[in-house]
Amino acid sequence: MIRRLAWPAAVLAVACAGVLSLAVGTRAVPLSAVMDALLHGGGSPDALVVRSLRVPRTEIGLTAGAALGVAGAALQAVTRNPLADPGILGLSQGAAAGVVVAIGLGLAHGFSGYVWYAFAGAVLAACLVYGIAARGRGGASPVKLALAGTALSAMTAGGTTVVLTSSSATLDQFRFWQVGALSGRDAGTVVRILPFLVVGAVLVLGCARGLDALALGDETARALGHRVSWVRGAAALGAALLTAAAVAAAGPIAFVGLAVPHLARRLVSGGHRAVLPLSALLGAALLVGADVVGRVVRAPAEVPAGVMTALVGVPVLVVLVRRRGAVS
Amino acid sequence: MRGARRAAAPTEVPREAVSRPRAGGGRSRGGTIILRPRPRLSVLIDRRSVLVALLLLALLLVGMAASACLGQTYLSPTEVWRTLRTGSGPYDLVVNELRVPRIVLGALVGAAFGLSGALVQTVTRNPLASPDVIGVGHGAAAATVLALATGVVSSPGAMPLVSVGGGLVAAALVHVLAWRRGMQTGRFVLVGVGIGVALSAVVQLYLTDSELEAAEQVKLWLTGSLNGRGWQQAGPLGVVLLVCLPALAWASRAARPLGFDADTAAALGVRVDRVRLGLTLLGVVLAATATGAAGPIGFVALTSPQLARRLTRTPQLPLLCSALTGAVVLVAADLTARTLLPPLEIPVGALTSLVGGPYLLWLLGRRATAR
Repeated sequence: MIRRLAWPAAVLAVACAGVLSLAVGTRAVPLSAVMDALLHGGGSPDALVVRSLRVPRTEIGLTAGAALGVAGAALQAVTRNPLADPGILGLSQGAAAGVVVAIGLGLAHGFSGYVWYAFAGAVLAACLVYGIAARGRGGASPVKLALAGTALSAMTAGGTTVVLTSSSATLDQFRFWQVGALSGRDAGTVVRILPFLVVGAVLVLGCARGLDALALGDETARALGHRVSWVRGAAALGAALLTAAAVAAAGPIAFVGLAVPHLARRLVSGGHRAVLPLSALLGAALLVGADVVGRVVRAPAEVPAGVMTALVGVPVLVVLVRRRGAVS
Repeated sequence: MRGARRAAAPTEVPREAVSRPRAGGGRSRGGTIILRPRPRLSVLIDRRSVLVALLLLALLLVGMAASACLGQTYLSPTEVWRTLRTGSGPYDLVVNELRVPRIVLGALVGAAFGLSGALVQTVTRNPLASPDVIGVGHGAAAATVLALATGVVSSPGAMPLVSVGGGLVAAALVHVLAWRRGMQTGRFVLVGVGIGVALSAVVQLYLTDSELEAAEQVKLWLTGSLNGRGWQQAGPLGVVLLVCLPALAWASRAARPLGFDADTAAALGVRVDRVRLGLTLLGVVLAATATGAAGPIGFVALTSPQLARRLTRTPQLPLLCSALTGAVVLVAADLTARTLLPPLEIPVGALTSLVGGPYLLWLLGRRATAR
């Protein structure tokens, strides 16, 4: 029963979160005015707020949340580690380093300007981590991927900190990016990252059957006729593209990639062909929902979405861990 | 069985015993010396561990001496010695007020982190575990930030207490949440990571809320730095280390059976959960106090025990050598951080992360070839 309701419920959650995100905020806009602004435009303050601030914000939340959810599910399958999330492969720190370099050298100002540097940093980090982990016998095994990611993250974080402590101007801009928020991004952001999102999603979804086989162990997957290293490489690349795009648009948002796949796996059976799309829906709903809550709890000030997802996600994780018991 | 458990870990040896190794009826067998000062008490001494400990101690002294001489102004060793002895002279400020307290603090903080790492890694049986994994660093950071933000505690002298309290509370929280009919290492680590994420979200929120100047200070503290710190922080930490010594003597014996898996240790008559709890508590207290003194300096707790074990080539993590390694590492790192890019001072925590990352990669390379 729950399984049959999972899909409509997820779709409904996304829709609700989206509508609330358009209507709720420091300035409460009635739903009729929201519809009016979307359909006809107009120059009223309500319409301006909805179209120039809330629509881009909601778009980014939906796409980044979906991307992080899918990337988390794929990475947990690739590394065969329920703890894996986009942060663990060094992607977030790589993106952060890209942004710090951009600010430090005066190459970019404002969130929209950071997108490409964040993206480049994340992709570079992904290539390095995969390259290091794939060396030696056994290829990019789950443990080696996680270790290489942690090591690279630590190094990058150290370097970033050196820059930040020596330049307060850089810190001043960087701290607002680092917290992970959906506000202040301009309307074109999603369009710019869309190609990468599409390619990443196609790669990951194309690997869905292979990921199911990986869960049975490398030997079994091979015996079933899957080329293990290809599946792992393609899924990791796809996840890297998705994460890089999401982080570039919204900053390093913790926990969506970690918690959402656990939830999705509980709600549906049918392997990754079901889990991946459901993770996309739940991720989008969670991030946009967290953003809406963040606007309300301390109004008129805002709690950034990245903080809200962590605060909401951690209790969920603790409950999951206690319920499941053995997670090795 | 009782006798076997009495045999202490090789490195925890009273200093007198080292200096007169054969006095108490000791005899040599291979690389190990067995001391029997009293019939019911026998002590195993690994010769290599003793040598390594002495070598590390010498290295530490050399490092501290070098750190006292080098810096913005270079002082010759004789000048430093004269200033130290007389307590006056033209370099009194530099030597007695700035450098020496800071160097001593660095050594103490490093030793505390090294010990704490050895204890936590013994409990979790995981070479990648550090006090941070069980929430200490994040808890201390969040408590400090909350105290600053709310203004409840504002005197600088009380801040270390706040961060120690935060570290202890966070570690207790992780323990309680992960405890369910006994402790399971995987669950413990997972809950620790989760709590760490939540607490760092709180810190992030403060970073964006505050003025730039306050944000900079917090950022510096979060990275870990010895800049502008001295006796005020070193005193309490030294006391804690001294108080912990008897407990460490117990720990060095208790930790030994935990090298086996939990079932074997239990079969050997060890109350596994209780021993784990005791060792963790000790590790948390040490890490929290060190964090309160210098901020959450990364990687010292993670790397020192592993380096020490490779030097001594013992199967267990050697406690004394881990502490000495930690002290050497931190004194060297602080010296580098002060002198690498003058006049800019790199926070020592950033430097240890920069160096610790490659170490992890090296560990990874070794694992890859070992398979």
